[in-house]
Amino acid sequence: MSASEQAAAAPALARTARRKPRRMGGWDWTRWIFLTLLLIYATAPIVWMFLTSIKGQFAALQYPPEWIPKEPTLEHYIRLLSPQEETGREFLRYGLNSLWVSTATTVIGVVIAVPAAYAFSRFRFPGRKLLFYSVLVRNMFPAVVFLIPLFIMMRWLRLVNTSWSLILTYLTFGLPLSIWLLKGFYDNIPVQLEQAARIDGATRFQAFIRVVMPLSTPGIIATAIYSFILAWNEYVYALTFLNDKSKLTLPVGLERFFAQYTTNWPGLMAAAFVMSVPVVILFLILQKYFVRALTEGAVKS
Amino acid sequence: MTAQDQRVRKLRRTSTAFVALVAAGAIGMSSAMAQTTIDRSKWSPDYVREIAGTLEVDTAKECAEVTPLDYEGKVTFWYVGPTEAEPDLHKQMDQEFWDAFKETYPNIELTVQNINYNQMLDKLRTASLGRAAPMLARMPILWGVEFAAKGFLQEMGPEDVGYTVDEFWPGAMKSVTWEGTTYGIPTNNETMALIWNSELFKEAGLDPESPPATWDQLVEYSNTIKQETGKSGYGLVARVNAGNTPFRFMPVMWAEGGGALDEAEDNPTYEDVYIGNAGSKKALQHAYDMYVRDKSVPVSALTNTQTENQDPFIAGQLAMVIAHPAEYATMLDRARKATGSDKEIAQKVVDNMRYGLIPEGDVRRSVVFGGSNIHMFKDDFVDGGEVDRQAALALVCFMTSPEWSTKLSWVISNPGNLRGFATKWNKERLDSIKFLDVATSMLPYGVPFPVIPESTEIMNIIVPGMLQNALTEKMTVDEALADADDKVKELRSGL
Amino acid sequence: MATAIGETRPTARRGPGLAGRIYKHRTDYLYILPALIVMFVVIGYPVYYVVELSFFKTPPSLAMSEKIFVGVDNYSRILQAKSFHEVTMNTVVWTVFSTLFAFILGFGAALALDRAFFLRGPLRGALLIPFVISAVAGSFVWRWMYNSDIGVIGAFLVELGITDRPLNFLDNTQTVLASLIVVNVWREFPFAMIMMLAGLQTVPDELHRAAKMDGASVIQRFFHVTMPHLKSVTLITVLLLTVNNLNSFIIPWIMTGGGPANASDIWITAIYQLAFGRVRFGIASAYSVILFLVMMVLGYYYVRIMTRGDERRAE
Repeated sequence: MSASEQAAAAPALARTARRKPRRMGGWDWTRWIFLTLLLIYATAPIVWMFLTSIKGQFAALQYPPEWIPKEPTLEHYIRLLSPQEETGREFLRYGLNSLWVSTATTVIGVVIAVPAAYAFSRFRFPGRKLLFYSVLVRNMFPAVVFLIPLFIMMRWLRLVNTSWSLILTYLTFGLPLSIWLLKGFYDNIPVQLEQAARIDGATRFQAFIRVVMPLSTPGIIATAIYSFILAWNEYVYALTFLNDKSKLTLPVGLERFFAQYTTNWPGLMAAAFVMSVPVVILFLILQKYFVRALTEGAVKS
Repeated sequence: MTAQDQRVRKLRRTSTAFVALVAAGAIGMSSAMAQTTIDRSKWSPDYVREIAGTLEVDTAKECAEVTPLDYEGKVTFWYVGPTEAEPDLHKQMDQEFWDAFKETYPNIELTVQNINYNQMLDKLRTASLGRAAPMLARMPILWGVEFAAKGFLQEMGPEDVGYTVDEFWPGAMKSVTWEGTTYGIPTNNETMALIWNSELFKEAGLDPESPPATWDQLVEYSNTIKQETGKSGYGLVARVNAGNTPFRFMPVMWAEGGGALDEAEDNPTYEDVYIGNAGSKKALQHAYDMYVRDKSVPVSALTNTQTENQDPFIAGQLAMVIAHPAEYATMLDRARKATGSDKEIAQKVVDNMRYGLIPEGDVRRSVVFGGSNIHMFKDDFVDGGEVDRQAALALVCFMTSPEWSTKLSWVISNPGNLRGFATKWNKERLDSIKFLDVATSMLPYGVPFPVIPESTEIMNIIVPGMLQNALTEKMTVDEALADADDKVKELRSGL
Repeated sequence: MATAIGETRPTARRGPGLAGRIYKHRTDYLYILPALIVMFVVIGYPVYYVVELSFFKTPPSLAMSEKIFVGVDNYSRILQAKSFHEVTMNTVVWTVFSTLFAFILGFGAALALDRAFFLRGPLRGALLIPFVISAVAGSFVWRWMYNSDIGVIGAFLVELGITDRPLNFLDNTQTVLASLIVVNVWREFPFAMIMMLAGLQTVPDELHRAAKMDGASVIQRFFHVTMPHLKSVTLITVLLLTVNNLNSFIIPWIMTGGGPANASDIWITAIYQLAFGRVRFGIASAYSVILFLVMMVLGYYYVRIMTRGDERRAE
């Protein structure tokens, strides 16, 4: 508590001294100690995931553990990623499935969220508030509760065992936050810009596409990353809706390393690591949009 | 079906050699079959070795009698197939099976789902509820009755695919029978055995070549090993909702005269609740003594499944485990594939690995009668609303044939079809896998889990829950037993 | 034709009847229609199904034609069960502490990062990693690190001489919930961080300067200048975290399955266990409805905060 309070005040002080180079003060020390500890907390599991993944199966089980692998090996990665082997083919298949499901969810999600957010921001149609609430409330429903009824429904829709069952479901997780974020953006875009376009003869829809859309790009990128990550990592529905081995996504496929009688910790860690890399990279590249979207859109009031 | 009756008769006639053999030998349990106990004196490693390789079979010919080889149709099938971490040989046999089936029945279109053991039960429940079940499913022995009792399964027995009931273990047939009707066919059956690390025994000053004879002794051994070597003695498993737990704990309960219900008795009625009795108490006390009093077992027992115990065992950190034949195979496989310094450790553990009978208790020696059965779903519950019965029977016949029930269980189990024991393939197995000796000789001590639909809940939730309540000291041993007793009674009363 | 932007307010006040207004705005609905269809398809039926089933006793056979109407019996049985109270306690502890610590750490990190300095970008990125990684992968790693026999955390503490044998994290009723909260906070604090960071960047510098001139101390400025600006983003963040925590399933399920001896069983895992482990769909549904109701209360505040700015603009 006290550490965070101290850290809390640090930037305020630092702010005043923004351009002046000076010695590290008490607040700075607190800040750096806090950030260092937090950094260890955040990344140690990832580091250990990686270190385990480059050990042999026996080496991984040593107690006390080998802190740094004595005989590092890439065998688990090679097996996972080589298309010549059964395991590799399967794993790559899961990866492609995940990619497809996440991309489709993201693209469709953006296409749906953008006009909805715009409408909620600009138009004053009856029932607007109620509908906006009901969209937001979506995130209140836990996945586990819906497994059986959704499964039954997907079966009616003939979607069981298809990636569309997942795409349809995932759309609903991402939408509320996307719509809310984007609406914040549109709220902050002056109406006058569109009015000017309208005077120049554009229709309302054209004004929306040509004027408003480009201005909300950071928001769109942010919501896209958000939906992508949600879809990429989702586990419970994927576990229930898919049986066909050729359609599984990565989080569910990961469990194939836990069998009834055997387990392969380094293999599991390697798979978890490979699975995490794409989203982490994607996120790191695009994170500034995420912060900006929150700053300029939703949080600003 | 008269055609099938004929087929059975024909089979009887054509393979008199086999019948004679089985009558003389394998059905040395024949008296047993009538009384549902097995003539334990005949079934021994020697006896199994004696009959191996004496029978020639032609699977295609046998199954052609059930479904013509040019039959056109399709079949959907789910099973717990080989996974990434399993022995190569097992994966290879699985592949050969599907290749052989496609070659024999080129016009039957197959949709096969290999599903993870830990996910299969939930998936099958959801799928049958959503009417999207497969036509056929091979399930671990404990699960079938639940689906039969729910009315999801079709009546189907060995006669439907040209075999006789006598060709399967009576305990296995019991597991596919619900209210007098047969709902499936055993594909493979196995029992577990005790394996230990003789090196650790030696280090602890114990006789490296002889395992504890009783559960009391096992508790002592475990403690001695912990005291002397600092390594864990016995690989206790107590995770909730994991099949591994009852498979390793129920044998102790039964051995000491306890049980969930009266399933370990010769003629169980499944009416009496045994979980609160003195035998069950003794068994739970053993677990308590090892985990809480002596701290001689892995601390992670409460979150571990057996898979995680196998790791310390093979790393030489754990002295005794109750192991499935598949684990033995996996360890050999890992030792073979290990490289560098791993190779040495693994080879050493494998060299020092000994196996023997599971200890006795005050009342009996026992082990869970394990294995899998294949079941056919009813039309109503199947994806597409219709089972292609001929195509399905072809696959069932193939899978439960002496040839394939042997090959598919090569490293991990035993043929469900007893004729499989007499094939040349079984001889080959016996020659190459020494662990089979002991796992096979445990078979007569096998007790099937209660054949009631509540079995999965009792075994996967109530029994592990009882263990956890006692081992975490949330409850005393007596309270934990009483609590479990209440839960089983409540469950049985149909609430 | 379509409504002109900006001319909505007056007409909405005293226009024609509701039907007329809906008709007038008919094209507006086209914009939100896709979102609504998806939402209602995926939510409408399941909610109906769960609520209906909560009033029935379902046979273990799950033959739905045999379900028996029992009124609120399922509810009263849940509320009276001893286990419900235990599980509820766990749920409260889990939700409150996860939310609290995730928020404190996240806010702390946001404050520490709210200024350009060397390595700020990479540092922020690194701190965001746990948020991006799948919960499944994260749970497996932590379970592996916590292992009571060969886990790296235990080994590390032994190395430091803090204990002489690996600590028991997950196999102990006293420590398991706290251990899981550590994992959950690990997953969630980056979210709080990024939200608060966004909030902080909307605090105008001039206010700080003015306060400084008035002689306000660092701490005074924090409480009188920074905090008031962050009120609504704080509320949103805390609410989103709370909702998320009430709904979190993967971490407890993969790491402990609710054990040992139910010490880490929370509502969601209990519901899953009832529905799938024990095939009591009726009771599981009633349990879910109770969860819904709690969520609805939270949902009410959530929506109010989320749409607060909106009200102002709309008027």
